[in-house]
Amino acid sequence: MKKRDDVLVGIVMAMALIIAIVGSLWLARGGLSKGYALYAKFPWSAGLKQGQPVLLGGVNVGYVDEVQLRQDGTVLTTFRVGKSHKVPLGTVATVIPNGIFGDMAIALTPAGPNSRSIPANDTVPVGESPPGIAQITSKADSIATSVNALTTAFKDELVDDGGVADLRRTLATSNQLMANMNRLASQFSVIAAEQNRQLTATQASFRRATSGIDSAKIDSTLQNMRQASANLAVLSADFRQTSARLDSIVSKMNDGTGTVGMALNDPGAYNDLRGVIQRMDSLLADVKRDPRRYINLRVF
Amino acid sequence: MNRKVASLFERVGARAYFLRDIGRGIKDPKTYGVETVRQMRNIGVDSLPLAMIVAAFIGAVTAFQTRYQLFGGVQLSVVGLISRQSIILELGPLLTGLVLTGRVGARITAELGTMRVTEQIDALETLAYDPVAYLIVPRLIAALIMVPVLTIFANAVGVGTAFLTAVVATDVSAAAFSEGLRLAFTPFQIVYSIIKATIFGGAIAFFCSYEGFTTTAGAEGVGRSTAQAVVITSVAILVLNALTALLLAPYLQA
Repeated sequence: MKKRDDVLVGIVMAMALIIAIVGSLWLARGGLSKGYALYAKFPWSAGLKQGQPVLLGGVNVGYVDEVQLRQDGTVLTTFRVGKSHKVPLGTVATVIPNGIFGDMAIALTPAGPNSRSIPANDTVPVGESPPGIAQITSKADSIATSVNALTTAFKDELVDDGGVADLRRTLATSNQLMANMNRLASQFSVIAAEQNRQLTATQASFRRATSGIDSAKIDSTLQNMRQASANLAVLSADFRQTSARLDSIVSKMNDGTGTVGMALNDPGAYNDLRGVIQRMDSLLADVKRDPRRYINLRVF
Repeated sequence: MNRKVASLFERVGARAYFLRDIGRGIKDPKTYGVETVRQMRNIGVDSLPLAMIVAAFIGAVTAFQTRYQLFGGVQLSVVGLISRQSIILELGPLLTGLVLTGRVGARITAELGTMRVTEQIDALETLAYDPVAYLIVPRLIAALIMVPVLTIFANAVGVGTAFLTAVVATDVSAAAFSEGLRLAFTPFQIVYSIIKATIFGGAIAFFCSYEGFTTTAGAEGVGRSTAQAVVITSVAILVLNALTALLLAPYLQA
């Protein structure tokens, strides 16, 4: 009986010890294997704690093992990645919010597929982390401050300086203006109705007038117009022929061919004419000087 | 009023003397060595099914309640986190302690009380045995060792049933629950649970042994002592739980 008690107690205690150790290891590491260590230096504000998850492309591959505060404004974070997972070269580490309770996780974002991986105990470069809850809260606080300033200014303008009364007056005036515009619109609509009525009457008169036109006369007129148009076309052709002929004559004159052309283009004829004119001048002068030489008028 | 205060201090003083006697008894391992293993069997091994059943139901209810108290948009891994923290840090050790108060503490008081009223303890003294070393120290050592052992089992079973309940009966996935279970875990949380369980084990053995050891007035006195022991020990466990949390909780943060 005594020996059996010893065995039972021993078994229970051993089992408890195994459960405590294995359970702690599993909870702390995500498995019994410790994985390999990688390092990253994040700023103090990263908010990392031991045990937080490490995500590679969104998949949980490890955990934060240790966070050491350094005096250069960074925390040296040791995180462990399962041996079955390789972190490709070119991967950057960022701290991202995990859920809405301010918990954080390390996100490893590969630049792309790479057959080479970051070796164990190496440092992973740190990327730009998205804004955390604290930063968003700070931003929201500054927005709230601005909104508060804005509402204060509105209050000053609208309440203290009588802006609301002005606004009410403006609204009353606007209402009056709208009423006037409504009246004007109703008058316009009356005028438009009258114009519409008159236009309808005009259309009816026109319709009546058009119905009274003799279509035979219109046909005849149109036929005459067509004839006149044909005549005009013939006339135009004649003009074109005449113009062509004139062009031909003018070109002949310019070329100096033909009688007129030669007369116009021959300088000899011109000189002869000048000579004739000069002789005519000298003849006239001689006639004036001594008319009797040429006019021998005898009456008796 | 003064009489009441004096009575209070008298009770405290009597227990201090009892503690001193235990300290003296520990120096004599030959007296309590064999009996300790038997008490470990009684207190620990025999209480294992009860502790595990209680932990199983508590773990299941914790996970279920946690899931349905979450408002929309909260990631479901929180169920794992809250279940782990609730069970390991509070419910595991506390409920194990309270359950053992009823099962083990009442038994210790009744045993020792009966021995007292039937003058068996006087007979031991007559035989030059130290009754504290022979009767109290084995129970105290057994409780100090076995209550933490039972708490470890209770924690494991509680977390296990919480996992099963969350995955089977709710929309929490196994991966999400596991992620929450591992979130911000530090081994000190297990140590904290064990420290609490050790304190509770000591409280159960000490208060229940004292009440049984000082029983008077026959069978009626045994019943009264047993009831009083359960009440005092339960309150003591709750107070010690609060004090432990006040002292050690700041070190729990990951």
